[in-house]
Amino acid sequence: MAGGMTVAMPAGSSRRAQVALAALPVLALAVLPFAGMPPDYTRILFTALVWITASIAWNLLGGFAGQVSFGFAVFYGLGAYTAMMMMNRGFSPYTSFLGSMSVAVIASFLVGLPTFRLRGPYFTISTIGVTEAVRVMMNNLSITGGASGIHIEEHAQFHELDHYYSALVLAAGALCVSMLVANSRFGLALRAIRQDEDAAADLGVNPYRCKLWVHAIGAALTGAAGGVFAHRAAVIYPQDVFAFNVGIFILLMPVIGGIGTVWGAVLGGIVFVIIKESLVARFPKVHLLLYGALLVLIILFEPDGLAGLLRRLAGRTRILLGKQPA
Amino acid sequence: MNVEDFFNLLKDAVLLAGIYAAMSMGMTVIYGVMKIVNLAHAGFMMLGAYFAFELYYLPERLPASWVERFPLLGHHVDPILGATLALPTFFLFGMGVYWLLVRWLPRSDQPTLASLLLMFGFWQVLQNAGYLIWKNEDRSIFTARTISPPLHLGFLSFSVDRLVVFLAAVSCVVLLQIGMKRSWFGMSVRSLIQNPLASQIVGVNEEKTRRLAFGLGASLAGFAGALLAMLYTFSPDFGSPFQLRSFVIIVLGGLESFSGVAFGALVLALVETFSIQLVPASYQAAISYGLLVVVLLFLPKGIAGLLEKKWRVA
Amino acid sequence: MKHGSVPRFAICTLLLITLLAFAPTASHSSTADENAISIGVVLPVTGKEGKPGQYQKEGIETAIKKINEAGGVFVRDQGKKLPFKVVFYDDESDAAKSASLAERCMISDNVTAVLGGYSTTLGEAESVMADRHQTPWITTGAGATSTFSRGYQFAFGALSPITVLGSDTAQFLGNLMDQHKLKKGLTVAMALENTDHGIDYGNGINQWIEKHPGYLKVVFSEKFEYPGTTDFSGLLQKVKNAKADIFLADAHLQDYITMHRQYLQAGMHHQMVSYGARGPDDAARKALGAGTDYIFAGLWWSKKLNYPQIQQFVNDYKKYTGHEPDSWYAAPAYESVRILAQAIEKAGTLDRIKVRDALRKAELKDSILPGAIFKFGPNGQTGYPFLIVQNKPGDKVDIVLPKQAATGDAVAPIPVR
Repeated sequence: MAGGMTVAMPAGSSRRAQVALAALPVLALAVLPFAGMPPDYTRILFTALVWITASIAWNLLGGFAGQVSFGFAVFYGLGAYTAMMMMNRGFSPYTSFLGSMSVAVIASFLVGLPTFRLRGPYFTISTIGVTEAVRVMMNNLSITGGASGIHIEEHAQFHELDHYYSALVLAAGALCVSMLVANSRFGLALRAIRQDEDAAADLGVNPYRCKLWVHAIGAALTGAAGGVFAHRAAVIYPQDVFAFNVGIFILLMPVIGGIGTVWGAVLGGIVFVIIKESLVARFPKVHLLLYGALLVLIILFEPDGLAGLLRRLAGRTRILLGKQPA
Repeated sequence: MNVEDFFNLLKDAVLLAGIYAAMSMGMTVIYGVMKIVNLAHAGFMMLGAYFAFELYYLPERLPASWVERFPLLGHHVDPILGATLALPTFFLFGMGVYWLLVRWLPRSDQPTLASLLLMFGFWQVLQNAGYLIWKNEDRSIFTARTISPPLHLGFLSFSVDRLVVFLAAVSCVVLLQIGMKRSWFGMSVRSLIQNPLASQIVGVNEEKTRRLAFGLGASLAGFAGALLAMLYTFSPDFGSPFQLRSFVIIVLGGLESFSGVAFGALVLALVETFSIQLVPASYQAAISYGLLVVVLLFLPKGIAGLLEKKWRVA
Repeated sequence: MKHGSVPRFAICTLLLITLLAFAPTASHSSTADENAISIGVVLPVTGKEGKPGQYQKEGIETAIKKINEAGGVFVRDQGKKLPFKVVFYDDESDAAKSASLAERCMISDNVTAVLGGYSTTLGEAESVMADRHQTPWITTGAGATSTFSRGYQFAFGALSPITVLGSDTAQFLGNLMDQHKLKKGLTVAMALENTDHGIDYGNGINQWIEKHPGYLKVVFSEKFEYPGTTDFSGLLQKVKNAKADIFLADAHLQDYITMHRQYLQAGMHHQMVSYGARGPDDAARKALGAGTDYIFAGLWWSKKLNYPQIQQFVNDYKKYTGHEPDSWYAAPAYESVRILAQAIEKAGTLDRIKVRDALRKAELKDSILPGAIFKFGPNGQTGYPFLIVQNKPGDKVDIVLPKQAATGDAVAPIPVR
């Protein structure tokens, strides 16, 4: 994706700086509830963190490896269902989230093993079929409650912060994974696959295997996000968590933020949630229109997303300040 | 199942296939020429449905004096005529959309994420416009044919509306097929599908062809929407299940061939009609989408790809 | 990766977070208005459930307008009458959003109570929030029994359970058999939408049949996908093959119209036909004309009810919205506001727990709902009887059950066209 930035600092210190700078927002979010944040913001931030996790997860496969999937709702939904079912059987929420991840990983292989034999658009198309078929199946399966969905009994008092910190830890974990992948050999291999699958194969990368693994990592994170969401929602429906729109939203966020960049996925998630929350509240009659128009504008004028926009702005300022753009 | 039931189901499937083919053509044209999966297809169909609706109920809205002076205005515009009128109207509309939005997309020989999301965003805009204009109400068109009893032909019974819609859809598909074979535009389209580079060398104006193709895609979607309005109830979020089915159909048909689409429509209609006799109705959709994945995996060129040499015209 | 770009984005994220955290919310100030009773309304006005949601919103607004015009509700501990103030959110027929918006009302808009949740899925998602945030919540449009079987303390339901709709439907058919209009022991084919609504409806019918042997026998029962079914001809073919005497379906309005259109076009006929809670809807009459004649439906309300207070409601509603109430949607929503007003007045405070306690005891004795009495049962759900109505030729709709409210006799079996 739109390169142009070269490494300004020596690799070692840059990496340390990166970690430090990633830790800052996470720490800020961790102390915010004690800094007198209004309770409604905790709710919005929770939602944002869940979506950011899914956004980061999708970006691993869709951004780094260039494999566009519409099917992440499958993992999100399965994660949500697994967590609910485990919690109803007496497991602790955190064990259940691990369960969500495992089920999502297994599902990722079931989906990925056949579909990654397909290339580019064919893979994308197949994920549409998979996600819709899974939604319909889940709507009918009686062991999961079918169309009546599934709910958990809340025995304990509701603690907003439990949910908030689960989501924060998960999102921070996803961010770490994303940064690790971005800076690793594995990440390089993924980007090689995005550029040219055959050339990557010639260089000794096994595209099929790489795609499967990154798909599994993304699925695990998305599954956990689904689990964390379900724990708070306490009641979920297949029409809801497996919805086609969930898959679209998950891929929309990295696009808004800047596809293929670590921070673009994060930024996209934040902006997406803010937009959705405030548009619905302020413009109940035209929120779809504004949201659609915004999407159209981003695609047409800023294909690299907000990250691209910020990068350009930063470049401008630097020129204005009389410095050489890096 | 006895023989009569079997043939009646077969007839149902064929009638359904006609509608399916008409609604998928628009998507294929656009995909074939510019490799864009038109996610706003459902939006165009929704507008097409309202187009027919508005025309049909126009006389009731005109001032009485007008109708008195021009008695012709007092007649309902039959949805079939409405659908025909939708063709040129949506052609212009589609070209407008192309000029405004689509032409700015980066060219690619594969569907790009940007194109998908652009069309998705545009679909949202169309839906919201629909809500603003027509409110969120279930509408339908009530013609003399709507509740007329079925026609009997031997042991086959035909619902009049479905038969009319089928005939309209099939004539459109056939005319399109002929037009594509004979006209310069059709040849340009086919050459662009087969070999974009070579076709430009021999003088195909790519930009113009793309614009016309998008207009044609939109006009076919509008046409299909107007036909569907005769059979179904619609509201501004009308169309998404039809859009997904169109998508399954063009994949079955091998993505870029017109006769493949007809074939894919028939296969999907047969599968849907007959599978429901074997599995509970609520599983039906899973079969259609499962079929999509299976076909992609084992027949990447679609079912029609099997018969490619004979069938591939476009 | 663009290493150099990282710091800037980290900073930007930080900035955004701070903005989010400390910027004042522009749209809805979170400080409660001292001079009004805020109530949250979360209903779908776009998406699949948008139309009934809109009607329910109108019902709520009509009631509020009426109460506010009379000066509001007297709140004892403030020593004055306070008007209602509505905080409205459209949940776009999305359950997760619905829950989240109900929560938003409860946490940040500081409302006394929340009304909303049209259709079971959305209502169920919202119901979780009521107990969690200790805020009374009245669902105007979720009728599934499951919501109220979980021991929620703050959830109230203004719709009679859908299982009762099923059993009342069967009871109606049983009555017709007792009157010898229909023969005993007829067979039934059911096509139910695959949602809680459809499932509960089917259960209600089956429970009635179990309790009253010899009347009806279900020979075919199948669910269909909602939303997303485009074509019912395959399912109807199966119904046809089942050769049942009575056809009972449970469907949303859109599906009811499409299914019944195909039913007519296939030339099908049954002795009795019902689409659950759909039947006399204007949209269906416009779409199918005489094709909907003789369909019967179980409704939560009808403007045909002969109580004097109904005319008043219809006039108020028409004055406010410009159209007459279509089907039943607005009435339970309207009554929810009135019972809430009564509870607040009895409680004499806006304290949520005291209002909840008062809601449990509240009772509208001049209700516009069937039975004219509206109150909540021990599990929070109300339980007034359903009205069975039947469409008659010439756009007429008659209440045919219960007897006291009947405006005409049931026609059974349906004459062959």
